[in-house]
Amino acid sequence: MRRLLLLGLAMGFVGWIAWSYGSVVLPHGAAASAVPNPEDGAIINGRYANRYFDLSYPLPERWVAGLAGPEPSETGYYVLSSLVPAGEQDATILIAAQDMFFAANPDSDLAASARDFRAAMAAIDGMTIDHEPSETTIAGRVMQRVDFSGVGLYRGAYLTEIRCHLVSFNLTVRSPERLAELAHSLDGLSHTATEDPAVSAPACIKDYAVADNLLQRIEPVPTGPRFTSIPVRIVIDRDGNVKHVHVIHAAAEQRQSIEDALRQWKFKPPRVNGESVEVETGLLFRFTSPPKS
Amino acid sequence: MLGATALAPPVSAQDASRFDLFNQRFAQDFTSTNTATSQFRQHPTDPGVRGGTPGAGGPLQGLSQNELNFFNAAKNVFNEVEGVAQGLGPRFNLDSCGGCHGFPAAGGSSPPSNPQVANATVNGAKNVVPSFITANGPVREVRFVRNPDGTPDGGVHDLFVITGRKDAPGCNIQQPNFAAAVAANNVIFRIPTPTFGTGLVEAVPDSGLQSALAANAQQKASLGISGVLNHSGNDGTVTRFGWKAQNKSLLIFSGEAYNVEMGVTNDAFPNERETNPNCQFNNLPESTTNLTNTTNSGSPASDFSSDIVNFSAFMRMLAAPKPASATTASTSTTSSSSLQVASNSSVLPSAAGSPTTSTSSSSPSAATVTQGSQVFANVGCAACHVINQTTGKSSMTGQTNVTFQPFSDFALHSMGDGLADGVSQGNANGSQFRTAPLWGVGQRVFFLHDGRTNDLYVAIHQHASRGSEANGVIQNFNLLSFTDQQALLNYLRSL
Repeated sequence: MRRLLLLGLAMGFVGWIAWSYGSVVLPHGAAASAVPNPEDGAIINGRYANRYFDLSYPLPERWVAGLAGPEPSETGYYVLSSLVPAGEQDATILIAAQDMFFAANPDSDLAASARDFRAAMAAIDGMTIDHEPSETTIAGRVMQRVDFSGVGLYRGAYLTEIRCHLVSFNLTVRSPERLAELAHSLDGLSHTATEDPAVSAPACIKDYAVADNLLQRIEPVPTGPRFTSIPVRIVIDRDGNVKHVHVIHAAAEQRQSIEDALRQWKFKPPRVNGESVEVETGLLFRFTSPPKS
Repeated sequence: MLGATALAPPVSAQDASRFDLFNQRFAQDFTSTNTATSQFRQHPTDPGVRGGTPGAGGPLQGLSQNELNFFNAAKNVFNEVEGVAQGLGPRFNLDSCGGCHGFPAAGGSSPPSNPQVANATVNGAKNVVPSFITANGPVREVRFVRNPDGTPDGGVHDLFVITGRKDAPGCNIQQPNFAAAVAANNVIFRIPTPTFGTGLVEAVPDSGLQSALAANAQQKASLGISGVLNHSGNDGTVTRFGWKAQNKSLLIFSGEAYNVEMGVTNDAFPNERETNPNCQFNNLPESTTNLTNTTNSGSPASDFSSDIVNFSAFMRMLAAPKPASATTASTSTTSSSSLQVASNSSVLPSAAGSPTTSTSSSSPSAATVTQGSQVFANVGCAACHVINQTTGKSSMTGQTNVTFQPFSDFALHSMGDGLADGVSQGNANGSQFRTAPLWGVGQRVFFLHDGRTNDLYVAIHQHASRGSEANGVIQNFNLLSFTDQQALLNYLRSL
């Protein structure tokens, strides 16, 4: 089932929308000296490490970074890493993430995402589904796996949900045997080394930035291109202050305007199941009035 | 074979240097995305421009007689050659719409022989042809990326001036210093977009484009693709015409081009861009509604309308390009044609010597064309080059709820450092481009926004570079067998 929540808080020149994806999520601990963002992952010492998603993936032997992907998109889509063999390029791995707060057609849960993915692939002329969506656990993470093939390419998609993102490992090779071999490399997935395991990542809540939770709201100054969608994630600390602002996609001047405003927002101290927590939520801005001169 | 050795440059040393750099970069990219062994794999061959009867240029099916009369009269206006008395200049790139949008029929894209070369000296003008304009290269406009003070420019700097023309006495403005701009690496180019079927595109509701963009999100997410529609800063609706989808309508597209490319002021763009008082010969706007009918073309609508209304009416009623049937595709490249284009000249066209002297080679079989359509869908080309769109309610007779095949989502995609031109238009940034509609690509000569190649194989590879949304798809393409790569090229040339 697809769900869309329109917060519908008319803000004059700014409208904002949040999208649903599952319920409250309290992910693994991921300490942060500086608050990481999804796109901050990197290949270090033969591993792709991403502190935001608490992921560490050992590259297959003699694999390297491929061409970098685009910047995070207006819909909260990230190309986290592209990996290729150093020698003969007979395979590729694409690690991507979709922020489900901003997905065009968000799914209700991971299994639904896998079913939708399977349906999309099956609809392509000449594509065969080789492995129906099924749940698997890799390195303690629940994943959905779908294999499909066509025109001599064999592909496997491994989907998992982390912090209200659909994170995917997309494997493409020239033979089923090579696909199986590459899939084994995912067994090496682990968590990133944490400096302080006691520090948890914030709870991911789809619709926290609503009027009921807000004590103070400062409007961003309209600037930059009009009618573009600007997805933003914020982290709210236990006292209700905005601890971190991540403007996912915006023109530079819009980024500054939104950050300046959001850092002044004040929320009621977040609590989940009676427990004081940090909360991460999403906002979608769209400037519709002309910039002020 | 690919590579700099294919260059046969009747060009300046400066241009040759630029093009060598391009080919070196392509060679490096090609090497980096292929293996030590696959470097020596057999490369597929672009079958070249499909010969035979042009699959475009006629009116939409189902139009009324009055609409057909308007279409035919407007087509003549589209092809009119303008002089200074009709508004040409003071600065311009060519003197007619049909000169740029001329192949394979009126309304199309750049012809194989560039009319800008001869146009430089028409009627006594003494314009110097810039190094990046060549006889067998694409029609081009040039934009400067930066102003002299380093701030963003992005505007069109017309190639020619009316200075010296017999119909422009006293005008003495000079051409921009293009050699200096080239030397400063401050130029980017654009070639004409084909306008076949654009009335159907105009008639697609915003909601249809939004749905098409969202419909295949799962496939795109597995390939590194997202995409976003461009929007009008005036009313927030989706814009869809031009290389960066920056133009809202065919009328705006016509009005801007008439002023920017030809220098003719009009109802949409009523002011001259060049204001030198010695070069002003007409009252403005130079083209506006005609209050009396002096043409009697048989279409009063055309006769009373201004030129840009005629242009937009012509384009609006232009039919979509017809693809070759699989049977036709198997023979069309060997049919008689006035055009034969190099099938494997994988170099910048303006440095490519004479493409008209080469012959097309392989004749795609029906089977490979069919296989190519599967490859197109499987590797992910169709994720952005969305095959079907559907019109909403249209004022044109018989054009409501018509499903057509433009092979585009009309959305913007980041295309990476390799294609980025550093020019922002609307909400499109310097590396974003609209998905180029592939209908009619079988009968196009030049590819990509700047016409840098006439080889589809090169054009495909140019989609991949640092930061491009197409990297995943091109990686898939590179993993294909030679047979499937060739099938894809054959399929594209059948469109």
